[in-house]
Amino acid sequence: MADQTFRLPDLGEGLTEAQLVAWRVEEGGRVDVNTPLCEVETAKAVVVIPSPWAGTIHKLHARPGASVAVGEPLVTITAAEATQAEATPGTLVGYGPGAPESGIRRKARTAPAVTESSGDVRAAPFVRQLAKDMGVDLTQLTGSGPGGRITRADVEAAAASPAAASSLAAASSPTTAAPSTDGERRISVVGIRKAIARQMVRSVSTIPQFTEFAVFDATNLMAAREEGKASGRSMTPLPYFIAAVVKAVRAYPLMNSSWDESRDEIIVKQPVNVGIAVNTSQGLLVPVLRGADQLELTAIAEKSAKLIEGARAGTLLPGEMSGGTITVTNVGASGPVETGTPIINPPECCVVAFGAIKPRPMVVQGQVVARSGAWISISVDHRIVDGALATEFLTALVSELESISA
Amino acid sequence: MADVVRVVAADDPLRALFSPAGELTAEARSRLGLDAAALRELYRNMVLIRRADQEALNLQRQGELGLWGQFLGQEAIHVGAMTALRATDWVFPSYREFGMAMVRGIDPAEMLTLFRGLSHGPWDPRRYHFAPLAIPVATQVPHAVGFAMGCRLKHGDEVVLSTFGDGATSEGDWHEAMNFAGVFKTPVVFLCQNNYWAISVPLSKQTAGSIADRALGYGFPGIRIDGNDVLGVYAAVAAAADRARQGDGPYLIEAVTYRMGAHTSSDDPTRYRPESELEAWNAKDPIARYRAWLEQQGIIDEGTVAAIADAAESAAQAMRARLTAMPTPPPGEAIFGRVYSNPPESFLREREEFESSLEGS
Repeated sequence: MADQTFRLPDLGEGLTEAQLVAWRVEEGGRVDVNTPLCEVETAKAVVVIPSPWAGTIHKLHARPGASVAVGEPLVTITAAEATQAEATPGTLVGYGPGAPESGIRRKARTAPAVTESSGDVRAAPFVRQLAKDMGVDLTQLTGSGPGGRITRADVEAAAASPAAASSLAAASSPTTAAPSTDGERRISVVGIRKAIARQMVRSVSTIPQFTEFAVFDATNLMAAREEGKASGRSMTPLPYFIAAVVKAVRAYPLMNSSWDESRDEIIVKQPVNVGIAVNTSQGLLVPVLRGADQLELTAIAEKSAKLIEGARAGTLLPGEMSGGTITVTNVGASGPVETGTPIINPPECCVVAFGAIKPRPMVVQGQVVARSGAWISISVDHRIVDGALATEFLTALVSELESISA
Repeated sequence: MADVVRVVAADDPLRALFSPAGELTAEARSRLGLDAAALRELYRNMVLIRRADQEALNLQRQGELGLWGQFLGQEAIHVGAMTALRATDWVFPSYREFGMAMVRGIDPAEMLTLFRGLSHGPWDPRRYHFAPLAIPVATQVPHAVGFAMGCRLKHGDEVVLSTFGDGATSEGDWHEAMNFAGVFKTPVVFLCQNNYWAISVPLSKQTAGSIADRALGYGFPGIRIDGNDVLGVYAAVAAAADRARQGDGPYLIEAVTYRMGAHTSSDDPTRYRPESELEAWNAKDPIARYRAWLEQQGIIDEGTVAAIADAAESAAQAMRARLTAMPTPPPGEAIFGRVYSNPPESFLREREEFESSLEGS
């Protein structure tokens, strides 16, 4: 019953560290050879590390979000059988502990950086291209790579910071905070936060989008809900929103499309796969209700509830969060928010935001009366859709919502 | 132009076996001359090499290998092509042909010593008629042609299989080799594993026309076939090898498949290719597809499938155990040991200098 410590190997030809994204095991849990232990993100890829030994997890040496150097302990496993103790002690390949900064190649790389003038930017060609695409000024960045080299992550972080306050992207809880001397905190951006950042930067830097607003009369919707409640099927407004969006999309199929930059073509999508923006403890997730155009209202309600539950519990499969063709976000669900300017979820063409339904003064037949109502806003890709068409779509959407019957 | 096409077509025994879309015809499928045991063996080999491939990736993730390039999804080509050749036929592989080497009988644990930094040439090419893996792109193609020219000069009846990917066809080496092969009518079967991705560059961004049709320009026939059908690959390579053996010269087979994994363990394909593409190819998985056919023909049952899966599992574990137990050779032997059969004096001095430089370190 010997303890063996598995150290982080060099996973990609000359890497020196990796960031721990998530553990797939717990201390005290049993593993076999090749049971997935954790996901780590290197400079090259996100990879799953399988267990090299069978046994019991004795200790996990790093927390999610932490950087682990190649050769540092990752996990200690108590071997299941005496024979397992003969297994090789890990990190046979790569830099290993003690090696960093000693090699000739490394010295050659680092030395010139110190003497370089500040105007001389060190970055690989693809990083320069990325910076150009994202509108990031490389001369304003401090590189975190070897010899002060600017990395892809540096550029993405710089591009993401102004977009962080977007209405679609929910705030995330910090995964880890590195200590700092002057009171600042640095938060490692990993996993979902990183994915949101990439997606939002891609949206605002590649899609010319505009937003239109409207208010709809929710009297019929609320009446239908009351009637449903009375007959034992309680429903949030969301399924009604989704059903109305699907109907309006059917009349205006261009809203359910993608811009194909590589070929200058518009791809009009056939099924309507509705992405549902869900705030979770990890950040914004967008599970996708597939084939929503083939579903009755009750099926929409059941399936969307399951997806939302799965998103919050973290049990969705990657396939359940991809392939959306239009996204719906309910910005009024958890506060007094009337409306917002949602950001398109690429490669989609349109995102629809619903505000809080509440009593508000409306003019009906020349009289000001109190009626239930809510704001809707849509952001659309102007390469595909002009203002006139967006207005027609929004009009159709309002009309669908106002003509709901029980 | 039309004349050229006609002349080549008359000399093309493969064309009749395949539909214009590259599918093996039902008639050709019924006349392969493979009995039930041989058909099961094709399945068994595909399962064995896929499991070994997965284990090699696991070993890389565990720090036991420096690098690994998966061939996941390309098993039908590896097994179909190797089964169609004689043991005396030569193979000049690229770097992803681990499965082919396994089918040829090379010990997979020995092969992995290359990726563990224990050896530069784990097997004797002359024993297995299997050249070393070529890491640079397309360098093995002229080697194959040159070797085939040598076979002809010696009046041997060996055929040489030259295998490469779609990316290799953009290289100058490839063009030179194809041209030589056409001019000298060398007994070479060129097998392009068109898996659609040259690392992160899609086929559409580096190849404007048909790969198979280029053979016409070099004076021999070519065909594009479904590379995920093990029987189709078998039939194509067998017919092209027969033709080459009879002295009718080279043939280019473009086998269309898909690299379902990453380029190598250092690569992350989610950064550059859409998930939908992988989903579409998952549905064409060569092993699942062949298994369904075998079941439909009543050649295989659940018990056999389970037994083969168990055998693949134990073979993978045995490979892991053998590999991790292998001693590290002295550096001098690893680097200088297999270069010359009769080393010249200067080479021996170099080895001595190298070995003395390690003392005390």
